[in-house]
Amino acid sequence: MTRPARTLQRLERILTMVPWLLDNPGVSVDEVTERFGVSRDELAGDLDVLGYCGLPGYGGGDLVEASLVGDRVTVRLAEFFARPLRLSIREALTLLLAALALAGVEGVTESAALRRALATLEAALGAGTANVAVDLSAPGDELLAPLRTAVTSGTVVALTYRSGSKAETTRRDVEPWAVVGHRGAWYLQGWCRQAAAPRDFRLDRIRELHPTTERVGPSRRGTPEPPVYRPEPDDVVVVLDLDPEVAWAAEEAVVDEVADVDGRRRVRLRTASLEWVARLVLRLAGHATVVEPEALRNRVADLAAATLAGYRSDRPNGRHDDSRPARGA
Amino acid sequence: MTDRLERLLNLVIALRETRRPMTAADIRERVAGYDQPDADAFRRMFERDKADLRALGVPVETAPLDRYDDRAGYRIDPRAYDLPEVHLAGDELAALAVALQATGLADEAGYGLLKLEVDAGDPGGARAADPRLGVALDAPHRATLMEAQLTRTTVRFSYSRPGEPAATRTVDPWALVHRRGRWYLVGRDHDRDDRRAFRLDRIDSDVRAVGGPGAFRPPPGDIGVDDVVPPPPAAGPATATVVAAEAVAWQVARRARGGGSDAGDGWTEFTVTVVDPDDFLGWALEYGPELRVVDPPELRDAVVARLEALLA
Repeated sequence: MTRPARTLQRLERILTMVPWLLDNPGVSVDEVTERFGVSRDELAGDLDVLGYCGLPGYGGGDLVEASLVGDRVTVRLAEFFARPLRLSIREALTLLLAALALAGVEGVTESAALRRALATLEAALGAGTANVAVDLSAPGDELLAPLRTAVTSGTVVALTYRSGSKAETTRRDVEPWAVVGHRGAWYLQGWCRQAAAPRDFRLDRIRELHPTTERVGPSRRGTPEPPVYRPEPDDVVVVLDLDPEVAWAAEEAVVDEVADVDGRRRVRLRTASLEWVARLVLRLAGHATVVEPEALRNRVADLAAATLAGYRSDRPNGRHDDSRPARGA
Repeated sequence: MTDRLERLLNLVIALRETRRPMTAADIRERVAGYDQPDADAFRRMFERDKADLRALGVPVETAPLDRYDDRAGYRIDPRAYDLPEVHLAGDELAALAVALQATGLADEAGYGLLKLEVDAGDPGGARAADPRLGVALDAPHRATLMEAQLTRTTVRFSYSRPGEPAATRTVDPWALVHRRGRWYLVGRDHDRDDRRAFRLDRIDSDVRAVGGPGAFRPPPGDIGVDDVVPPPPAAGPATATVVAAEAVAWQVARRARGGGSDAGDGWTEFTVTVVDPDDFLGWALEYGPELRVVDPPELRDAVVARLEALLA
């Protein structure tokens, strides 16, 4: 998709601006520049061009009257542009897609207004033939509303968080920057005071959320990066072999290399923590083999043995007595 | 280039206001900016302008000159040009502004929102502060396929599934679906003569149109987000009983939609829905020693069998 050339952008701007100028003769330059996001020079240029346009014949009563006198803008004799140009297919589809996407998300405060807007737009534009479905729901999305409130009001939130990478639960005080949806999960992004670094928190791993009244200082309001893993130099290299039916697992992680070895997928990835990979291998039980490192193979074996011990325990609630700290991770 | 802008505006005005369609010769003679001495130069200029206007959504139509003269002329039907009266409320426009920003689609929507604001008499009124809410909905091929779906244009592309060589697919695009962070195209695959779902991130070529718009009729009924995943096994949803340790019980409670009864030693017992047994087993195994399947016996035994296989 290429952006329209500058001339065409100006044309669109004029066709959008003139209907409003016709309705508001004598409006101030400042108001026009602010409402339409144009500079004073751009506006003057547009008005100048308009003054040379009109009906074939181009005589006295045929031309558009466009004037910028002092601080006032007036456009007359342009009744053919009384209405904005209708939405192009792309404009209409894009608006519908954006509205449709957020209208269905629980906890987005704008969703009711978006549903009304969608109903009006589909009826008015006859765009009901666009068959597009978007599902942004994900576990933990009931936290979207309180988290957005914290983000927009710039107040610290206290979380009890179960980390996926370490399988441990900790308390975090976070200066929230944004809430983002990425690859089918929702994340809170912000400055974690305990880590003294920017962190992403998956909403479905937030056990408890306590908004506070503490305001975040403006100094640390950052612009978050997308919540993807960024390898560090001392991260561990992991190599796994996956059966074809679980090859999807390679697409869930950020993988360095993929090769096919004896009918299986060999994937190579880097990670800051072995624990989530160990849990992944456990989940794929039987369909994934750890090639390296040794520590991961041991951790998987420990987890599997401990889990199995729980099933073999005679205790009614199945609890195992193996409560020693995990090794390897 | 001011000259071209002026010429385009004059062409729109002339074609919109003309009583009968204008021939190319009329345009060359009467519309300011088209009086080229060279006929070929005029033709190139007019063709380019016409294409650009149509791309912006200006409805330049071809029509017979009148009842007695079937030569083709050009015109713009004001009813097709004018934005219909939509009159969205202020909070609806503000919500659309947030939606465009949050989805990263503000640029692609072009002047769409501003036009609606002008229609509501308040241009620029909905310009929102950064909503600090983001979800990436843009993806390669998405805009092209949406347009092809809307105009019912058949498309062709190269598609590769993991472990298979890439193959050319020819598809009637029926619907686009975004589910769990991924875009899918649902449509009729010509070579297989059957309905298929394609992941957009597995399309590894350009998406090209085959033939013109209006080439097919999609099947009746909406296609929804569940149409891109295999249907659950015919047996239908069942339930399972699990016990969870204190550290993860709250996560299990979300899947179980609340509930849970004390199972002793700080463990909690839950009843969870099982739609796909394989999914359920994967979910249970990921918790490791902190979760145990109690019932039904076949699911419990399946977990044990998988763990034993892992340790073998």
